[in-house]
Amino acid sequence: MLLRAAVAVIIVLAAAAVAFWYLTMPRPLDAAALSQYGPSDAKRGERIFWLAGCSSCHARPKAAGEAQLQLAGGLELKTQFGIFVVPNISPDKKDGIGNWTLADFANALKRGIAPDGSHLYPAFPYASYSRMKPEDISDLFAFLKTLPPVAGKAPPDKIGFPFNIRRGIGLWQLLYLTDKPYVHLPQNASAQAKAGQYLVEGPGHCGECHTPRTFLGGMKRDEWLAGAPNPDGKGAIPNITPGKGGIGGWSEKDIAYFLESGFMPDFDSVGGAMVDVQENIAKLPASDRDAIAAYLKAIPPLPSAYTDK
Amino acid sequence: MKKFAAAFAVLALSVGIAHAADDPIAIRKDLMEANGAAAAVSAGLLKGEIPYNPVVAKEAIMALRAVSHAFGSFFPAGSDKGNTKASPKIWQDMAGFQATLAKFQKDTDAAAQASGKKGPADLAAFKAAITPVLGNCAACHRDYRLK
Repeated sequence: MLLRAAVAVIIVLAAAAVAFWYLTMPRPLDAAALSQYGPSDAKRGERIFWLAGCSSCHARPKAAGEAQLQLAGGLELKTQFGIFVVPNISPDKKDGIGNWTLADFANALKRGIAPDGSHLYPAFPYASYSRMKPEDISDLFAFLKTLPPVAGKAPPDKIGFPFNIRRGIGLWQLLYLTDKPYVHLPQNASAQAKAGQYLVEGPGHCGECHTPRTFLGGMKRDEWLAGAPNPDGKGAIPNITPGKGGIGGWSEKDIAYFLESGFMPDFDSVGGAMVDVQENIAKLPASDRDAIAAYLKAIPPLPSAYTDK
Repeated sequence: MKKFAAAFAVLALSVGIAHAADDPIAIRKDLMEANGAAAAVSAGLLKGEIPYNPVVAKEAIMALRAVSHAFGSFFPAGSDKGNTKASPKIWQDMAGFQATLAKFQKDTDAAAQASGKKGPADLAAFKAAITPVLGNCAACHRDYRLK
């Protein structure tokens, strides 16, 4: 009787282990998907670089000017799961991503996996980058190759059990990693709003801060862009939908001007981590800021999901 | 510095009876609103929404300058608590905050110097004077204001 119980327990555990192993397997892009990556243009890639905000995390903390192009890493992201230390993604062959192929790079952005098949932590916003177009990823990779190699690895992450088991991220990816749109725009949404949807939900990864998260750290789709606690400590990341507590009172022109200048309609200025983001977006063509503005006016209005008062 | 602070204490009293002098949070909010209004005027001129006028331009510069010199006096210990968006970093790193403020003062002083008695002669001169000043808003709010 005891033996039978023991055998049953072992079988259940083994089945669970197999299921875990299967469910957490890395799921790289297949050959057909990879065939869409190829010819590239570093000049076009520079636009994607600023849009995706690579340097805001991957440059050394507080880097400005030319130093923003030295992607040495080292910034600490303090989260409820532990401290993530942003890696070196300069083209250095030893300490950066100088030995990566375009396929490696595409798998990191689209599927959240490193060249060795291990899962990347979603502090790297691949739950947004998964929506990026292959041509934009190809161009971005070409641009990154033109940047100066920087020697020196960033220190390791400081993550406690169980989140230090990277394999487990595979489960997170099953739950939260998709390339489907976050919101359904109305049928009659303008082409501009649709262009903005790509910029905001994909490379711009606005939802990573502006959308509240579940206890597992996934974005809550039904509270898309409705505001969230500030990951850097006190305060709130604002609701940027047209709903109550959001920016419904801003015109498209107001939004575009804010992204260009950092000034809100009442001439309060941008602050916190958004300063870097706004400065990045100010480097884009005006048509991109207009598209983002059109999208933000077209999304479902939601009351603020989080306030600090 | 003292002169500006005194001028603003008087101004604050005359403008807002409701703001007791011992309410630094209310006073610094008033000062920031003055800054915001001056930034709005500056942007209006820069964008051509307000026809260029040297007197108006100088007024914006002088308001920003006065605030830059007065502002730092309203962050006493303990005023991090209350209805404020001031970041706790101000009190954790007062030297850094003061250095950031000193940069703002330096830029407003330079703009005031450049605008002369009659204000910047034309839009190009105003743009050259005001652009470094306006950069201070985000530079300070990046670290020292919540949101």
